[in-house]
Amino acid sequence: MGKYVLKRIGLAFLTTFIILSLTYILVKLLPYERPLGGDPIQIAYFDKQYNLGYVGRYEQEMPELGKLLYKSPAFHGRSNYYYQVPVLKQYVNWLKNIITRWDWGVSKTYQPNVKASTIIMKRIGYSIRLNILSSVWAVPVGLLLGIWAALKKNSITDHIISTIVMIFIAIPSFVLISFVLRIFAYNLGWLPSTWPPDTASTWTKIKGYIIPVFCLSFAPICGYCRFTRAELCEVMESEYLLLARTKGLTRRQAIVRHALKNAMVPIFPSILAEFIGILGGSMILESLYGIPGIGKLFVLSLNYKDYDILFVDMAIFTTIALLAGVVTDLSYGFIDPRIRMGAKK
Amino acid sequence: MKKIFALLLALIMVVGILAGCKKTPDPKPVDPTKAPEQETAAPEVTLPPMADWDGKYIERDDYKAYIKHDLDFLYATIKDQLGDTAGAVDEAMAAGKQAIDFAGTVAEVRTAYAGAYQAILDAVPTFDGLVSYKKLSNAERTDILGILERFAVTTGITGISLFENGGYVMYNPRVTLGTENFIVGYGFGILPEGNITEDLEYEANPAWKRYYHIFEANDPGTVNYLNDQGSQVGDLYAYIAASFFTNFMNETKDGYDWVPELAMEKPVAVNDDDGDGACTTWKFQVRTGADGLKYTTNSTMADRAAFNNRPVALEDYEYAFKLLLTQQNALYRGSELANTKSGAIAGAKDFYNATENGFDEAAWANVGIKTYEEGGKSYFEVTFTEEQTQFYCMYYIASSLYMPVPEEFINLVGVENYLSFNKDATESPVDNSLALGAYALEQWDSDMQIVYGKNPNYVYTDTKYAIPGVHVKIFPAAQEDTTAGFNEFIAGHFDASGIPQEYLNEYRNDPRTRNTTGDSNFKLNVNATNEETWEYLFGEEGVVTQTQKDAYWEVKPCLGNNHFVKALSLSIDRLTFANARGSIPAVDYLSSNYMSDPENGISYSTTDAHKKAIEGLIEDTDGYGYSLELAREYFRVALTELEAEGAYTPGTKENPTVIHIEIAWMRPTQEEQFHNEIKNFLETAFNDESVCGGVYQLSVDFWVGNEWDDVYYDKMMLGQFDIGFGSISGNPLDPIGFVSVLSSDQEISGGFTLNWGVDTNDPDAYPIVYEGKRYSFDALYNAVNGKAIVSEGKNEVSLSFEYTNIVKNDDGSYSGQFLIKATLPDITTITVDDIACCNYERYYNGDKQYVECYLSDPACGSFNVEDKGNGEYLVTFTVNADIAADYATGSGTSENPEGQTGFDFYYTMVFDGTEQSGLYYSVNDNFVVE
Repeated sequence: MGKYVLKRIGLAFLTTFIILSLTYILVKLLPYERPLGGDPIQIAYFDKQYNLGYVGRYEQEMPELGKLLYKSPAFHGRSNYYYQVPVLKQYVNWLKNIITRWDWGVSKTYQPNVKASTIIMKRIGYSIRLNILSSVWAVPVGLLLGIWAALKKNSITDHIISTIVMIFIAIPSFVLISFVLRIFAYNLGWLPSTWPPDTASTWTKIKGYIIPVFCLSFAPICGYCRFTRAELCEVMESEYLLLARTKGLTRRQAIVRHALKNAMVPIFPSILAEFIGILGGSMILESLYGIPGIGKLFVLSLNYKDYDILFVDMAIFTTIALLAGVVTDLSYGFIDPRIRMGAKK
Repeated sequence: MKKIFALLLALIMVVGILAGCKKTPDPKPVDPTKAPEQETAAPEVTLPPMADWDGKYIERDDYKAYIKHDLDFLYATIKDQLGDTAGAVDEAMAAGKQAIDFAGTVAEVRTAYAGAYQAILDAVPTFDGLVSYKKLSNAERTDILGILERFAVTTGITGISLFENGGYVMYNPRVTLGTENFIVGYGFGILPEGNITEDLEYEANPAWKRYYHIFEANDPGTVNYLNDQGSQVGDLYAYIAASFFTNFMNETKDGYDWVPELAMEKPVAVNDDDGDGACTTWKFQVRTGADGLKYTTNSTMADRAAFNNRPVALEDYEYAFKLLLTQQNALYRGSELANTKSGAIAGAKDFYNATENGFDEAAWANVGIKTYEEGGKSYFEVTFTEEQTQFYCMYYIASSLYMPVPEEFINLVGVENYLSFNKDATESPVDNSLALGAYALEQWDSDMQIVYGKNPNYVYTDTKYAIPGVHVKIFPAAQEDTTAGFNEFIAGHFDASGIPQEYLNEYRNDPRTRNTTGDSNFKLNVNATNEETWEYLFGEEGVVTQTQKDAYWEVKPCLGNNHFVKALSLSIDRLTFANARGSIPAVDYLSSNYMSDPENGISYSTTDAHKKAIEGLIEDTDGYGYSLELAREYFRVALTELEAEGAYTPGTKENPTVIHIEIAWMRPTQEEQFHNEIKNFLETAFNDESVCGGVYQLSVDFWVGNEWDDVYYDKMMLGQFDIGFGSISGNPLDPIGFVSVLSSDQEISGGFTLNWGVDTNDPDAYPIVYEGKRYSFDALYNAVNGKAIVSEGKNEVSLSFEYTNIVKNDDGSYSGQFLIKATLPDITTITVDDIACCNYERYYNGDKQYVECYLSDPACGSFNVEDKGNGEYLVTFTVNADIAADYATGSGTSENPEGQTGFDFYYTMVFDGTEQSGLYYSVNDNFVVE
C-alpha cells in the first residue's frame, strides 16, 4: 500500500512537471504585442522588454538565423534587431531557478517586481477558504437532498427535487451569480455586491461569503443530490437490503446501517472530484465578485501576460487536482475495506 | 369635349410619368463656393459630332455634372489662396468645363477633366526655396492645417472616419461638477473645482464617505508611471503628482487656464535673440521648502514617515530628471523622453546612451536641465533641442513625470520599488511614494481598493480640490461584464460610470447623464494603391517594406477610384451606428480633443478651417456624411469609370461579377460589434438594383489576426489589406504635428502610415496652394512644423550624401570618399570638422566607447575636403594601416562584409545664415580587414 501511495504521488508530480513544461513552452510561444506609436515608444518598449529578459538584441540584421526580428531605431542612425529569447533557453533557466533556488520569478506587469510566489501566497487563503466553505455547505445539503429524493422515489417531492437539480446543474456558477447579484445585492440590498475589503466589519465580511459560496456550491449540491439518489435507489432495490428487512430491521435501520453505507462507496470519492470542480469554477466567479484569490489571479496573469505568476498559479491548481485524485483513489480502500490498492493478485 | 380634355390630361400624365421615370435621379452636386458659371462666357465654336455615350450606369449629362462638380470642388479648395494666379485658374476652369461639355464618351470626359486639372496645376507656380511657417500665429497655422486636412480628406488618405470614442457618462447626484458643460481637453473639473456634499451610504468607513468613489477593473500594483506604458497607472499617479504647470478652469467656466503649480511664474525666454518669442532655453522660478513646499506620505514605517513634511530642495528637481534619464534605471518613460523628437531636451539622448552602467556626471553636464539660485530665488532652466514658444515650453515641461523627489528617498526605497510594492510585498506604494499633488496615497489593499486622502501640503490645497479623497474600488467584474460597473453605479456604490450599450436608450436622457468628447476617432483605413504604387511601396524592392512575389497583396482597383471610396463613405449611417454604441458620429480625421489654440482651449473641430476641410464629406448628407441615394449615385459614377478603364467586366444578373473587399479588424468580437453593421451599410448601398442592375455584387469580408495589433503590424503598415479598422492618437495640443501620420514618407510618419494611395510629396497629386504657390503635402507639413526646403513644390533634404565604401591601399592603409551635396547651394556652405573611426562592436561588447580615433589626428589618418562648386564637397579620407588593424574586432569578413564599423562625419553647415552642427554616420560599411 505504501509503495503504491508513493508511486501515485511520484506520478502526480511527474504529471505536474509535464503539464507545467507544456504550459510554459506553449505560453511562451504566444506572439508579442507591440505598442502603437513612433520611434520613442518603440525604443522604450524594446528597451523594457530587453531589460526584462524577454527579448534578445542584435545590432545588425541576421536573417540567416531565421528568427523573428523586430527592427527598432537605435543611436547613430543604426537599428537594433530584437528577437525572442529561445523558449527552451528560457525554460531551462526557469527550471534551474526553481530547482536550485526555489525562485519562481517576479511579476513583470501585474505587480511589478514582487515575487510571484509572494503574490500567490497572499491570495491563496481567500480561494482555499471559499472552496472549503463551499464544499462544507454543498456536501451535507447535496447528500440530504439526494437521500430525501431517493426515499421519496417517484413521488412529487422526488420529481420536484430532480427537476430543480437538472435545471441548476446546467447553470454554471458565473451565470448564476449574475441573477443572485441582481436579486439579493442590487434589488433587495441584503448582501454586498462585491467582495468586502479586509478592513470591513466582521458582519459585512460574513455576508460577503454568502453569494460566492452559494453560487459555487449550487452545482456540487445538484451533483451530490443526483448521484446520491441514484446510488441509494439502486442499493435500496438490492436483494441484501430486502433480506435485511425480512430479518426484522426497520426501514430506517436498513437504510442507515446498510443502504447508506454501501451507497457511500462511490459517492465519497466524488466529493473530492467536485472540490476540484469548485476550484475551476471559482476562477471566473472570483473575477466577477472581486475576490482577491488565486482563481482571479490566474485570469489576470493571462490578461497581463505576466507569465511567472501564471506558472505558479498553474502549479498550485495542478498539484491540488492531482493530489486530490490520489486521495480519491486511496479513499476507496478506507470506505470499502474489500478494495485493495496496488495489491498483488 | 370631355374626351378631348381626358385625352389631353392622359397625355400630360404620361409625359409626367415618363419624365419621372428617368433611370437615375437628378444629380445634386452643389457648388459650395458658388463658383461663377464660366460656361456662359465661353466663345462659340463649331463642334465635331459628339461620340455615342458608352456609360451603362449613368446618363452622360449626369456623369458630366459630377465631373464638373469635382472641378468646382477643386477650385473651391484653392481659390482663397490663389492670389495673382486666380485669373489663370479661372480661365483653366472655363476651358475645362467647356471641354467636358464637348466630350462624348466616358474616356473623353475623363480626358477633359485631366486636361483641366493639369491646366490648373500649370496656372499656379510651385514654391521653390527655404520656408518656415512655424512661427505664424495660431490662426494662420490653423488655416494651413485646414489646407492639409482638405488635401488628405479629398485624396482619401484620412480613411473613412466612423466615430469618436466619447459618449455618455453618468454622475451621482451627490457630486457637484465643476461645470455642467464638458470642456474639451479638460473635462467637468470634478476634483479640482467640484465638491461632494452628501455621504455615500454604501461606504462603510465613515472617513471615506465623502470621498469620490470610482472603479478600476484591475489593480495595476503600482503607480510608477515612470516605468509604465499604459494610461491606467498614469491616471492613478496623477492624483499624487504635481508638475511645473497645470490647468484650472477659467472664471467663465467654459475653458481652462495654464497656471504655475511647482513653478512660481510662467517661463521666461533666456536666448530669444531675434525677439520672435521662440527660443531654446527658458527659465522660471520654482517653489522649494523656502516657499513652503513639502512632501507628504501616509506611511507608518518610521524611515518613510521621516520624509513627511520634508521641505522640497532645489536639487530634487534636477534629480527627478537624472532618475528618469539614467538608462541603468530602465525606466520606460526615460527611454521615451530620451528618444522623443517633440520637445526634446538638449543632451538628454546622449546622456541616456551614456548611462547604461549608471549615472555619468560628465554626460549630465551637457543635458539641458539646470537649477540655480539667483537673488535668493530658486530657478529651473531647460534647454530644448529646438526653439519653443513660451506656451510649448510650458506644455513640454509640464509633465508630472518630472515631479521632484529626494535622492535619499530613492536610495532608501530603491529605484525598482519606487511608487510600487517591494519584492516581498511588505512595503506598498503608500510606503514607497512621496506626494506633492492634490492627494496622497492613504491605503492600498491589493485587488480590493486604492485610497487617496487630501494632501495638506499641496500648493492649492486651500482653494482647489474640495473633495477630501478618492476611493478607487478594484472591480474586476467590469472586465468580464460591460454592465457590471454600471449596475454598481445605479445601486449607488460608485460616483460615476459610462453607460453600456444595453442601457443607452434608458439612460441617455437621464438628468444624471452628461456628454463627453473623445480623444480618438476610429476609422476604416483604405489601401487605395494601384499595382504600380503597391510595387513601389511594398514590392520586392519596396521603399516601405520588401515583400516576396508570392505574398503580394491583390490590390482592388475599385478602392483606387476616389468616387468609389466616396460612395463607401456616403453609405455609412454614422449617426445610427454611433448612437447605438454610445459614441459620437464622426466624419472628421481629428477628434474634438485636438486644439488649434491649446493655450485658450479652442478645439480645432470648431474652426472654420476644419469646417471647410470636411465640406466635401458632408455636403448633401445628413450632416454626418451619410446619404444612401448619393452613395448609389457615386457607385454608378465609379462603376462607369472602372469599366471604361477595363478594371472590371460586368457579369450577368444571374451570375454577377463579385467585388470582394476585406475589412481587417482588431478583435474577433468586432465582427458582431462593428463589422456586420458596416458590411450591411456597404452592401445595401451597392447591391441595390438601381446601381447596376445586379451585374456587379459587393461582398464585404471579415478578417481578424491573432493579436489585436496584427491589423496594424501585419496588415496596414505592410500594405496587406483592403480596408483596416483602427485609430492612432497623437498629441492633442499639436494637431498640426500629428497629421504627420498621413504622409506616405516614412521618415515623416514615423512608420505609422495607415492609408495608402497618393504620394504625399507629389505636388501634382492634388493641388495644395498657399499664398499663391503650390506645395506637396510633405513640403507644407514640414514648413509649418519647422523648416522646409522646397524644390518645385516638393520637400527636399538640405544635404544629400554619397558614401563610397573604403578600399585597401597597397601600404595597408584604407581610403574612402564621401560626397556632400547641398540642395540650395546659394545659401549653404559646408565645413567638415572631423571624421571619427567607429567600432560599434566594441561599444556593444561593453567598452561603451565606439570611437577608435579621429582622422584630424595624424596618428589616425587624414582627410581632405575639396569644394567642387555648385554646393558639392568631396571628402577624401585615409585610415592609417595600424589603426585599420584595430578594426579587426568589428569589421566584416570576406564572406559577410557587413561589419560593425563606420565613420562619423562631423560638419558645420551655414544654412540661410544660420550655423548648425551636423553629423552623418555611415552604417554597416564594407570595411573588410583581410
